[in-house]
Amino acid sequence: MTFDELVQYMSPELFVPNLEAREKSAVLEELTTAVVEGSKVKDHALILEMLRNREQLGSTALETGVAFPHGRSLAVTRLTILVARSSDGVDFDSEDGKPTHLFFLLLAPPHDTGNFYLQALGKIAEAIRRKDVRTSLMKAVEFDEVVQILQEAS
Amino acid sequence: MTKATDQGRALVALQDLDEQIRDAESAATRAKYEEMGFQLPGLDQLHEAQEKLEDAIDTKLLTRYRLLADRAGRAVVPVVEGTCTGCFTNVPTSFTSSVYEGQIMNCESCGRILFWP
Repeated sequence: MTFDELVQYMSPELFVPNLEAREKSAVLEELTTAVVEGSKVKDHALILEMLRNREQLGSTALETGVAFPHGRSLAVTRLTILVARSSDGVDFDSEDGKPTHLFFLLLAPPHDTGNFYLQALGKIAEAIRRKDVRTSLMKAVEFDEVVQILQEAS
Repeated sequence: MTKATDQGRALVALQDLDEQIRDAESAATRAKYEEMGFQLPGLDQLHEAQEKLEDAIDTKLLTRYRLLADRAGRAVVPVVEGTCTGCFTNVPTSFTSSVYEGQIMNCESCGRILFWP
């Protein structure tokens, strides 16, 4: 999978430059609201329940200050990727206990047979391993800059 | 919201959860997750959530769901552009209003439970 393929599932409407929520449960709510407002996904309650269950399985926050709330749901018809940031950071139950600043929400339909969303997740996770990429993403003002940074990093 | 609508949505939530559990139990998927740095220690909590959801669903409906899932892989399928994505047969437009009235509709061709995302 190339990053150009990934970009078609992202959009300026699915970019939240600064989350208002300050704790994990509220962040999941805010991310879900943003994805419902910015995409064709309609069912807030189903998405939120799926994301909460996924977090029960294990936190989607990595030690790099980045979290990947994600999963498949019948409420989703195509892969949808939302990017969000929190300048203050949020306790998202990461292994190292440090705050999470960057969020990549990935939603996929149930018939994503090739686990395409896991490939997408892996691709983004690989790109943001570099500290300079994460720093640039936190500074980006426009959605286009976010895409450009990720493309250059991949 | 009618009881049937609540029940239908509970089935959808259950299927989402069933898929999550299946993924978490798959050695291949777990390996992919671990490679990316994710730990999956909470499988027991997911099973507890599954039991709670099952308890909230009418016994007959749950049995129908489980039988369909055993037979067809996925008991509930989305209707996309008027088509059942289980068997790719067109779904009568009248079904949509039946769902709004609170009924749980099955595909006339493959029998799967239909969901309009």
